[in-house]
Amino acid sequence: MEFQGYVRPDGKVGIRNYTLILPNGRGIGVLADQVAKLVRNSKIFIPPNENGRDSEDRATIARTIVGLAKNPNVGAVLIMGIKSNGGYPEFTREAMVDEIYATGKPVDSVFLEDCPGGAYEALGKALLKARHLARKASECRRETVDLGRLCMGVKCGYSDATSGMAGNPTVGYLFDRLVEAGGTAMFAETTEVIGADHIVARRFNDDKQRETFLAAVKRVEDEAKATGEDIRTINPIPANIQAGLTTLEEKSLGAIAKSGHMPLSSSLRYGEIPAGPGLHFMDSWMSSATLFLGFAAAGSALSIFQVGGGWFPDRMMMPTASAGLVTPTLYMTGNPRTYAKTNMDMDFSASEIISQREPIEQAGERLVQRVCELASGHLTMGETLNVDDNVEIYLRGPGL
Amino acid sequence: MKAIVVIGEADNVGNAIEDICTGESVVYTLNGKTQELKAMGDVPFGFKMAIKDIAVDAPVVKYGEVIGVASKPISAGECVHIHNVAGNRGRGDLKGAK
Repeated sequence: MEFQGYVRPDGKVGIRNYTLILPNGRGIGVLADQVAKLVRNSKIFIPPNENGRDSEDRATIARTIVGLAKNPNVGAVLIMGIKSNGGYPEFTREAMVDEIYATGKPVDSVFLEDCPGGAYEALGKALLKARHLARKASECRRETVDLGRLCMGVKCGYSDATSGMAGNPTVGYLFDRLVEAGGTAMFAETTEVIGADHIVARRFNDDKQRETFLAAVKRVEDEAKATGEDIRTINPIPANIQAGLTTLEEKSLGAIAKSGHMPLSSSLRYGEIPAGPGLHFMDSWMSSATLFLGFAAAGSALSIFQVGGGWFPDRMMMPTASAGLVTPTLYMTGNPRTYAKTNMDMDFSASEIISQREPIEQAGERLVQRVCELASGHLTMGETLNVDDNVEIYLRGPGL
Repeated sequence: MKAIVVIGEADNVGNAIEDICTGESVVYTLNGKTQELKAMGDVPFGFKMAIKDIAVDAPVVKYGEVIGVASKPISAGECVHIHNVAGNRGRGDLKGAK
């Protein structure tokens, strides 16, 4: 199975070709925002303030910034900042700016400290450079490549019983095919492996990676218990309970079907780029406001939002359009009722598994086909909107 | 005749894939054999029905795995949900939770 993608200098393949306006800190955000508004086909990520955060959270922010620049859907990068050296070890010129230049992509930068005219000069310089980068990015042409050149992430949400029976197994089939072809697949949502963690743990080849995974699960379960509440009052969420899912364990057992059957290569931190191809788990909160950004930073070219949707009212517009920022979201459902209510917003249906007893393998092959179409340039429904969702990095530590 | 889906061989619940009303006859297929039972309560689309009696504190099994325990006695044919099932994991509300 093939698609037409953008082959980047590092050999990774993107399915879109954005110019990324990338502040190295929040302070330049106002100027960066204006540049992004003026430059067509640009995307912007304004990071949260790294000041007063511990080393783990700072590393997460830095990893997200650099990861977005490295994402294969990014054709060119304009780095903007007040200074090229942010101060903290994770934000030095070497750790961040140089790392981005090393991608080999068209990269340029503007730092306010280098502009005698200050902010007002920086704004004009940045606009000019961004326009040149956008034009340079446009010189990259799509080429025919194998499915295995793709990196993808999946999140399941608004889960109901169909998630575990139809929607997630269909994604699992896709991920098996993707990994067999040499591709990279990521799933996440640490809370939602609790109850199925023993099954996932068995699939790790590497003992150390298995320990990392189990430590992440233990951390989250300990945090849950520390609330003094029954996790069932928190996650599963009301949308799950009202649609018939009864316990976290039940939700998790249905959720892990989206990971397919391949062995697990590693347990990643939030926004961490996998060291190699294969199937990977990402330790992350399940919220769509953070997870798709994490997948984008890790290199996902296309991310799936697998929806149960039993809770949805009629004709509901999907909650996010572009939460992956540079990475489009493929919306799908395995619930025939959800599909009937929201097909105008969906990119794929696996609901025939339930309504027509379609074999999972057949639905899976259809999904592979759909992925190749979207990868080659068909728009997702989310991409037809001029919407930039509010997205956040998943940060765990205190503000100090 | 309404259908429910039983996923694992050892499961004691099945999933409704259509709305089921009290008193209706319900079928499921497991290991090639078709079994029939009567709905003892309403089981909406996506909800679970017990296919066996489940005693208090006995495990509720789906996908061949424990998804919780019965918090009330459950008869075959009854709807199985938060009113008669408790989870085991993440129970910060229980005394001695660490």
